[in-house]
Amino acid sequence: MTKDDGVDVRAGYALRDWVYVAVFGALWGAAEMTAGAYLHVLFPPMADTFLVGLTMAGLGAIIVMVGRQFVSRGGAVLSMGIIAALLKALSLGGMKLGPMVAIFAEALLVEIVFLPTEPALHHHYILAGSLAVSWNFFHKFVMMRILFGKGIEEVYEKMIVDGGSVLGLDVNQAVMIIVALFLVRVAVGAVAGQLAWVLGGAVKRRLAGDA
Amino acid sequence: MKERIRGRLGPVSKVSFLIWALTLTALLPDRQLVALLAVVLAYGFLGGRKALSPLLRVRFWVMILSIVVLSSLLIGEADWPLGSLRLSRSGLELGGWMALRAMCLTLAFSVSVGSMSPSDMIGLFESMGLKGLGFALGVALNLLSVLGEIIETTYHTLRLRGGFRRPWTTVRLLLVTVISNALRYGDDVVVAASARGFDPATRQGGVSVLRRADGVFAMGLLGLGGLLLFWPL
Repeated sequence: MTKDDGVDVRAGYALRDWVYVAVFGALWGAAEMTAGAYLHVLFPPMADTFLVGLTMAGLGAIIVMVGRQFVSRGGAVLSMGIIAALLKALSLGGMKLGPMVAIFAEALLVEIVFLPTEPALHHHYILAGSLAVSWNFFHKFVMMRILFGKGIEEVYEKMIVDGGSVLGLDVNQAVMIIVALFLVRVAVGAVAGQLAWVLGGAVKRRLAGDA
Repeated sequence: MKERIRGRLGPVSKVSFLIWALTLTALLPDRQLVALLAVVLAYGFLGGRKALSPLLRVRFWVMILSIVVLSSLLIGEADWPLGSLRLSRSGLELGGWMALRAMCLTLAFSVSVGSMSPSDMIGLFESMGLKGLGFALGVALNLLSVLGEIIETTYHTLRLRGGFRRPWTTVRLLLVTVISNALRYGDDVVVAASARGFDPATRQGGVSVLRRADGVFAMGLLGLGGLLLFWPL
């Protein structure tokens, strides 16, 4: 690993680093507790996992990647994710396993991209965003497996067959639909990475203007 | 009695219980899940009324019942006519086990980590040598109300300046302003903590959340786990 802004990324965290981790963890947690909760009420999870999950994953990825521009240290993004997940757990809605797993997984994926890439460049943000938001595609499968155990494959098999007959598509085309749904997530993640890159720069310029 | 038991078990026990319950939910065959649910409920009962609060929520029961209903409609051969519906007996049975597994997991989270206070969590991080993360969690908890004020003030400022005529620019300005102001507040926190001589790298003595009862409880969980796994029901 190299240095960024004269700081050894492997060295221990300074007080300012921890406070910034807290700031971005709180921003992500606040977004999950407010926007996430409202969206889940408007679009109940059983009926809609695409819109709510994708929106919150994109928003979380933007916040955490802006945060990474201010705390260029290994484990910073994961720490932000842990704080956001714990804030979500402590919120009035109570402990919710799904969002907590999603927050942690997204933070872990972003961390994996940034850990060996210091200093992080523009394309790292695009890649990290795509990877983080693409978790949203696998999240439902993983949660179904964790929560409901065996037998869920049969549910999906039946859903694909029924969906194919309703839409007049055969199973092969249903696979294409699934691939398209995955690519939508990747694209949204790439946009989130781009926005995080631009937004982080704008915040830095705003703060530099104050100095 | 409940108060005495609750007072002796620390946050380590709650985390141990969660790990134990998650592991057993993954490993146990379907029929043994009933025994696991009974243990989770008993632990939750000892933890107080709040720990079992999901049982009082309509949303929780809607989720559990929807698993059973959807499974009987989607899985297996529809061999059980019920009015205008044709249900599947095998789907109903499978849905029942899936619902039981979901109940075990949801309640295990609620009675363990869900019943931990912020100070429990911070103490747990510090005892694990993650003092910085405990400190950050404490700062984040106190930041939430400040963030609410920052977002509200920024939103009204942009609205009064007619910002909504250009929605995309407004969203960008809102985000930049909120993050900038949150970081400025963070700088104030850094100054205040430095003035008090706080250093997240230095470990202070006397912070230990591991109690003797936690060790006994963990051994009990191990024994009970072995019993559930290997006792033929």
